[in-house]
Amino acid sequence: MITKGQKRKYSPEEVEATDRSNPIWESQRQFVFSVSLNKYQRGQELPEPSLRRSVLIANTLRQMSLEFCNAPAEDEVPPDSSLSGPEEVQQESPSNKIPSAKHHPAQVVTNSSSALTTCSGVSSLHSSHYAAGRNLANCQWNSSTVPLSNGDEDEEWESMSTDGDFSLSAAISSILTALDSNIEESPQAVQRTPFQSLENLSRSSEGSATWVKQGVRGFVGNLEEWDECRVRENQMEVTRSAYLTDFTVEDLFQDIDTSLLDKDKLFGLRGCGVGHPAGDDLPRYLLPISPSASSSQYLSNQNLKCLPSFSSFGPLSSSPASLPTIFSPSSSLFPDSRVVLPLT
Amino acid sequence: MKCFSRYLPYIFRPPSTILSSTCHTEADIISTVEFNSSGELLATGDKGGRVVVFQREQESKSQPNRRGEYNVYSTFQSHEPEFDYLKSLEIEEKINKIKWLPQQNAAYFLLSTNDKTVKLWKISERDKRPEGYNLKDEDGRIRDPSTITSLRVPVLQPMDLMVEATARRVFSNAHTYHINSISVNSDLQTFISTDDLRVNLWNLEITDRSFNIVDIKPSNMEELTEVITSAEFHPRQCHTFAYSSSKGSIRLCDMRQAALCDRHCKYFEEPEDPSTRSFFSEIISSISDVKFSHNGRYLMTRDYLTVKVWDLQMENKPLETYQVHDYLRGKLCSLYENDCIFDKFECVWNGSDSVIMTGSYNNFFRMFDRNTKRDVTLEASRENSKPRAILKPRKVCVGGKRRKDEISVDSLDFSKKILHTTWHPHENIIAVAATNNLYIFQDKVN
Repeated sequence: MITKGQKRKYSPEEVEATDRSNPIWESQRQFVFSVSLNKYQRGQELPEPSLRRSVLIANTLRQMSLEFCNAPAEDEVPPDSSLSGPEEVQQESPSNKIPSAKHHPAQVVTNSSSALTTCSGVSSLHSSHYAAGRNLANCQWNSSTVPLSNGDEDEEWESMSTDGDFSLSAAISSILTALDSNIEESPQAVQRTPFQSLENLSRSSEGSATWVKQGVRGFVGNLEEWDECRVRENQMEVTRSAYLTDFTVEDLFQDIDTSLLDKDKLFGLRGCGVGHPAGDDLPRYLLPISPSASSSQYLSNQNLKCLPSFSSFGPLSSSPASLPTIFSPSSSLFPDSRVVLPLT
Repeated sequence: MKCFSRYLPYIFRPPSTILSSTCHTEADIISTVEFNSSGELLATGDKGGRVVVFQREQESKSQPNRRGEYNVYSTFQSHEPEFDYLKSLEIEEKINKIKWLPQQNAAYFLLSTNDKTVKLWKISERDKRPEGYNLKDEDGRIRDPSTITSLRVPVLQPMDLMVEATARRVFSNAHTYHINSISVNSDLQTFISTDDLRVNLWNLEITDRSFNIVDIKPSNMEELTEVITSAEFHPRQCHTFAYSSSKGSIRLCDMRQAALCDRHCKYFEEPEDPSTRSFFSEIISSISDVKFSHNGRYLMTRDYLTVKVWDLQMENKPLETYQVHDYLRGKLCSLYENDCIFDKFECVWNGSDSVIMTGSYNNFFRMFDRNTKRDVTLEASRENSKPRAILKPRKVCVGGKRRKDEISVDSLDFSKKILHTTWHPHENIIAVAATNNLYIFQDKVN
């Protein structure tokens, strides 16, 4: 369960900044990320996914991955300075996250820059992923051990499977391409025949490209392809399903230190409002609503002829302390395993 | 603000099988409601592809206090489920939109559409039939010509009123994506049909071709970040139409400028408030419905949490913003999880453009009076309404202390949503679709 934060006595900016690097925010981000991926997956399994829904989910994923990309890249100035502020504040967060951040600033930058390339989605589907895969293979990115096949493919697969951005942008691109190929008749460039995929699978020496094509293959194609691919997919379920389910949240972000995240750049999740401690944050949360509410003045006191009076609709009339009762059911969505990063 | 009462019993659909609301069949879910331009007829479309048209009773002189009630006038199967063999996809028969054509003769015409095909239906009455044929009997049997000794002229005799619906035009094979809206032009000769990426212009007489006037499909589908969610013609200017997007913007286009209206004349978008930004900012900004006011000066848009009224002369921000159910802002995460965040609510103007209405969850619907700035939440439910009883305003409490008759946010039933509503063009009569039930309310007669 999310514990209520202590009422902080710092200036509003600092408190706000703290929120953004708050592990609660990070855990919610991870949750939304995993839910989005699940939705995308389930949507793709439908014979005809809704384009509007898929685009909205893809945009959400893209936005989250962009935020994640931008944050470490701008923190390449050593994390020490960024930690001086919240150091006192984040008393509960493990201090030994800091050394891990120091160890990997270079990799963070490298990875984020390559991830940024894929995130922007400028290059074509295959070339960008192949190139990014090569970049990542050279990175000594901390990763959890993924039970994969032997050989040099291991490192590449590990690095790629733990890089959310790389596969994320692959996923996003393939969402839209698959939708197009599902719906449109003409996109020859993207359509993949089942036999072509099978050939790729047999040539395991291709390494990262093979994995990419396997991943993409699953998203592309019409119903017939899907049926044929499904059999093979079940046999090859270790790679894709392992990535997408077991390792989506914990292992992808296991070693990511929230102190790396630039507090000025990240957006707080006040919109969700989950896990916000009562007190200072809530008025800030409530305040943005008031300007728009004031534009349409809600009646609060007048009596109507036929209707009993109805009071103001907005949350301004309610006490801040009462709001957590709304949040408490939601807090069950964030079990402890997702909140706290492991202590090393 | 007028108070609304339920003056006729709620209508089950279909009438022959009365089911409780918990075990209705999927096909009975109402997917669209629309009054015609005189308000005499009310059409509903459902997920099973059926259209039911209600007609208002003529007000009888013997009971002047009793307003005309709506009774079933015609029922027909508009669309059937189809199978696209090329793509191995089933095409749903669910009626997405119905739009009436203004009445020009004794018959009524409406356009109904599912995901792929628009159909023009003619609803006409027949109350006379010819009798006295020479070559066949009254019961239809062919007479032996050799037995005929004299000729007679058939005469029209009165018969029981029969309402028949015939499909006069079928506009098909023009949309790759799902049609989300149709709109009849004020010139009464053309109409537009809109899917996720394209807007097509049709002539009502010509079914084998249409003009594509808006196409936002990128050459590389990977770059797709925005889809069209709704489009409507201006009520007075036959060259102007507007379409809304999933990113919260509305574009006004003039068809006189160019054959392809990819370049907009006006672009309406409110800059995002950075302090309320969240992961779901874009999703909740997606516009689900756009409606011109009757006078043609304003535009109304519905996104997930608000209704906004725009002045067509002011593009940078809306004229008015109304919070429909802002208490859901703190629940966006769970609403995203259970997919409710993707619900597409509609919004309607009243006849004088002074009141706007839209639906919410728990079978609530909201009305906002633009002049007095008053708003009311009403509920469409059997339990809370007796015939002729005035609808009691409902209130959702967001705080911990729940007063009597209030309902807390956590008790809201998110499976009961009012997505489709319509308002009589002249009077204060509203029709509200709550899953498989249709509620018709009118204001109290003083």
